[in-house]
Amino acid sequence: MTRHRIGAGLALAGALTLTGCAASDGDPTPPTGGKVEITFVGTDPAEDLAPLLEAFMAEREDIAVNYENIPFDQYDNVIQQRVGGGDAGIDVLLVDAGAAAAYASRGLIVDLTDDLAEAQASSIPAAVEQSWWQDKLWALPFWTSATYLFTNKDLVEAAGLEPPTAAGERWTWEEVVDAAGRAQAAGAEYGLLFEQVDLYYQMQPLVESAGGGSGAKGADLLTADLANPGWIEALEWYGQLFADGVSPRGVDANQTANLFAAGQAAFFIGGPWAIYTLTEPERPIDYTVAANPYFKGGSPAMATGSWSIAVSSSSDAAEAAHAFVRFASLTTPGNAASVARIIIPPTNQAAFDDFIARIDQADAPHTAGMGELTLSELRQAAVNRPNTVGFTQLTDVVGRASSDIRNGSAVEPTLRRAQAELQSLWDRL
Amino acid sequence: MTAGPTRSGGVPAPERPRTGSFSRLRRNLRRSPAPQALAFLAPALLLMVVLRLAPMAGAVGDSLFHYSLSTQSRRWEGLGNYIYLLSSPEFRQVLAVTALFLVIIVPVQVGLALLVATLLAERTPGIGAVRTMVFLPVAAPAAVAALTWGVAYQPKGVINAVLGWLGLPDQPFLSSSDQALLAIIVIMSWTGIGYWTMFLVAGLQDIPLELYEAAAIDGAGWWACFRRITLPNLRKTLAFVVVADTVSSVLSFVPVQALTQGGPSGSTRLIMYDLYNRSFALGDTSLGQAEVVLLLICLIGVVAVQFRLLSRGEA
Amino acid sequence: MRLPNRIGSSGPRRLVVAVATWAVGLAFAAPLLWILINSLRRNDQIFTSTYPLSWRSFLPQPATWANYELVLTGQFGRSVLNSLLVTVIAIVVGLFISALAAYALAVLRFRGASFVFSVVVLGFLIPFDAVAVPLSNLFRSWGLANTYSGLILPGLASGFAIFILRQFFAAIPYELTEAARLDGLGWWGVFWRIHLPLSRPALIGAGFTIFLFEWDSYLWPLLIATDPSMVLGPIALTAFNGQYKVEFGAIFAGSVLLTAVPMVLLLFFQRYFTASLTTTGSKG
Repeated sequence: MTRHRIGAGLALAGALTLTGCAASDGDPTPPTGGKVEITFVGTDPAEDLAPLLEAFMAEREDIAVNYENIPFDQYDNVIQQRVGGGDAGIDVLLVDAGAAAAYASRGLIVDLTDDLAEAQASSIPAAVEQSWWQDKLWALPFWTSATYLFTNKDLVEAAGLEPPTAAGERWTWEEVVDAAGRAQAAGAEYGLLFEQVDLYYQMQPLVESAGGGSGAKGADLLTADLANPGWIEALEWYGQLFADGVSPRGVDANQTANLFAAGQAAFFIGGPWAIYTLTEPERPIDYTVAANPYFKGGSPAMATGSWSIAVSSSSDAAEAAHAFVRFASLTTPGNAASVARIIIPPTNQAAFDDFIARIDQADAPHTAGMGELTLSELRQAAVNRPNTVGFTQLTDVVGRASSDIRNGSAVEPTLRRAQAELQSLWDRL
Repeated sequence: MTAGPTRSGGVPAPERPRTGSFSRLRRNLRRSPAPQALAFLAPALLLMVVLRLAPMAGAVGDSLFHYSLSTQSRRWEGLGNYIYLLSSPEFRQVLAVTALFLVIIVPVQVGLALLVATLLAERTPGIGAVRTMVFLPVAAPAAVAALTWGVAYQPKGVINAVLGWLGLPDQPFLSSSDQALLAIIVIMSWTGIGYWTMFLVAGLQDIPLELYEAAAIDGAGWWACFRRITLPNLRKTLAFVVVADTVSSVLSFVPVQALTQGGPSGSTRLIMYDLYNRSFALGDTSLGQAEVVLLLICLIGVVAVQFRLLSRGEA
Repeated sequence: MRLPNRIGSSGPRRLVVAVATWAVGLAFAAPLLWILINSLRRNDQIFTSTYPLSWRSFLPQPATWANYELVLTGQFGRSVLNSLLVTVIAIVVGLFISALAAYALAVLRFRGASFVFSVVVLGFLIPFDAVAVPLSNLFRSWGLANTYSGLILPGLASGFAIFILRQFFAAIPYELTEAARLDGLGWWGVFWRIHLPLSRPALIGAGFTIFLFEWDSYLWPLLIATDPSMVLGPIALTAFNGQYKVEFGAIFAGSVLLTAVPMVLLLFFQRYFTASLTTTGSKG
């Protein structure tokens, strides 16, 4: 009997060795030539950030940077769990607008206030403010964003209307909806598509234009304020869009840019990166780019802000990580390299100026005047996301409420419920 | 029964016991071989304890505390998290939606799997190809199924195109609180039914043919045979499939997470998604762990009832 | 003798059954076919060519291989291989470990077997995703981050697989075990020579549960292994669903690959599955 037990033991040992081999096979390669190795995580394909990594490693031969891509829809979760759990495998991370306070309060990112003066000297002010919380700077500016009204020229002209232009007057939402309805009558499948359906990024400017504020009130921004008249007015309008069929129910955020590019919609609200998708079809549509609309009688408001770059508190190579973050944010070549393969405004002033000069040519002639428009929009209309430690809860609740309203729920009760739910989530913080 | 008897007829000499009389061996045969049992069980038990039970015990512990994300502090909460959950209307809706979901998905999947298994047992030309077609979706990862069905459910997507061709009106699918749960069930069933069919096909083939021969002599038809022979003999397999389907349906949430995020109006907010969202996305682990414990208790209850059926089948 | 266990007892009935059977088969295959068609479409045409229904809905016009080029030139190919490697090892090792345990529970009559069995059942009721976060911290401290072992290990503890195998082993007549023991086979011999060979259908069923766990895992690899060399298929696939750009064509092409690879394995095993079913079926 003993022999048989040994047999079983051997077989098991064999099986475990098999996994053991596989494991050693996959172990990360040790740093070569005494280089410090750091890992940078973001949510874009590795190809898009390769120029930044190459530029940095050419300058700092003692540091090797690896990039890991975490899918966008899981990014925030994964960062909070992994860095919160002390994962030394993350040294540098991107921090979304609005998330800096939440990450800082949870101790996920380190204080970078020492870089404040340099950041202010080199970068766009709003992008620095984005990561300012409790009198400290928690991340350095990286990218910013702007949203535009894209118009399918042919569909709008078919309705006998003049499309909005970059140099022209800012349209009101009322004008857009009216024109969208006429374009649909003249043959357009859809009137108006939002790039980021239901997301806080897209909803905040609507509400701010109607005077509803960001949804977060109080000194610590932890008082939920989702059911005031501005919120109700903006969301009534939003729900009506879908009830009237100007915008389609059941089209996901990841599908809208492709639909607009395929000529299915008269208007599209989206960021500059949508230009990639627009140039893709075999016969691209003829389109114009104009300022983000506002409510009649309200104030102009445009979603802005984007990723900042920060040093993870779980990093075991904080010095190298800090060097990389400084390069990516504060130096012009570094910050410019980060947008070499992606259409998004960088925050370093010189790199930004270059981007503004470049964007007019991104898809000429459609994009002519886009640089000047971007500058004036960032000055006049940009609204930043609130720096509340409860940002994750805010986006979750607002996203669900917007989705319910889009699908036909009554606006006021939905917002009241959302406000109560958000408050109870915030109270638990 | 090819392997056993033939082998036992001509076992080679070295396998015979070299010591001890025949009667002693006979006595030892039925004795409980605890050390051997432990050796056989050890790897699985070790993995089970380290990878499932210990973290679960940790979860039970965490669920009794309140962990504040903003101040990083932890304080004893007792059953506070449970009371918070059970008194919250949102969570009660989650429980109701999950119950509704189970009441629909389990009979639908098991019923259709039984139907498909019955059809696959027939002598139809090309049955091998059909069998393959039914099993293939099992290979599609949940992420694939969710992304592709999401495109198909579009208002101007392929399903509405087919409905339009049949003269039926467009349907809202995921954007209607009446249809979204069913739409999710369809996605899960597309990959699920083929999987459960495999077990039922095996169960059908294990029914001794003599039983049918006897029935044929009595002149019974297919339906009578199905009711009196097939179903009773399939009962154990069916009970197993019901239990396993219940558990795996409760635990899957990828389509919800990818397509509806629990909406519209909470109509697809299944408990596993709620739990994922609460502890993973919102970071409220103590509440999330309390929810895991509640889920586990519910599952144990449901499965215990279903096990009764299983053991009655054995008796 | 014609047995009454089949519906198709007469010509017309056989026809009805054949039509129903093929209809069912096509219903299951249609979505896969649709994925295949879309994988050959240009990105912008995926949304424009389906509605209303016409021949264009079914034929990519023009057909393009660009999506496959995009998918195969990047990281994706590697990630499919990673998924495959992880899954195959998990199935082989997991089945072995589970079968050992199931055998002990079903055949070796020791005290406390029912308690151990309830532990196993409890193990398969615990939602893995719910305990994944604390476990991933533990795994990292053991140095299992970005390793194949880290990806494989959770799939090995499959209470479900043990459960399936235990039920099957328990159904094998105990006389057979006794006879084999009398003939001098040890417990290991009985396991290896009798129970394992007789249990192919159960092994395949249990193997599939392990397969599904590994092939489908999404949250766990994000927590434990995001190094580009370690990324698994489903995660590489969602990378095409980017924040600034969504490559639907590539998503469909990737889906085809992610489904086709195990499909080949499935077809291979299915032969064994049916073959062994006929032997167990005839045992009477």
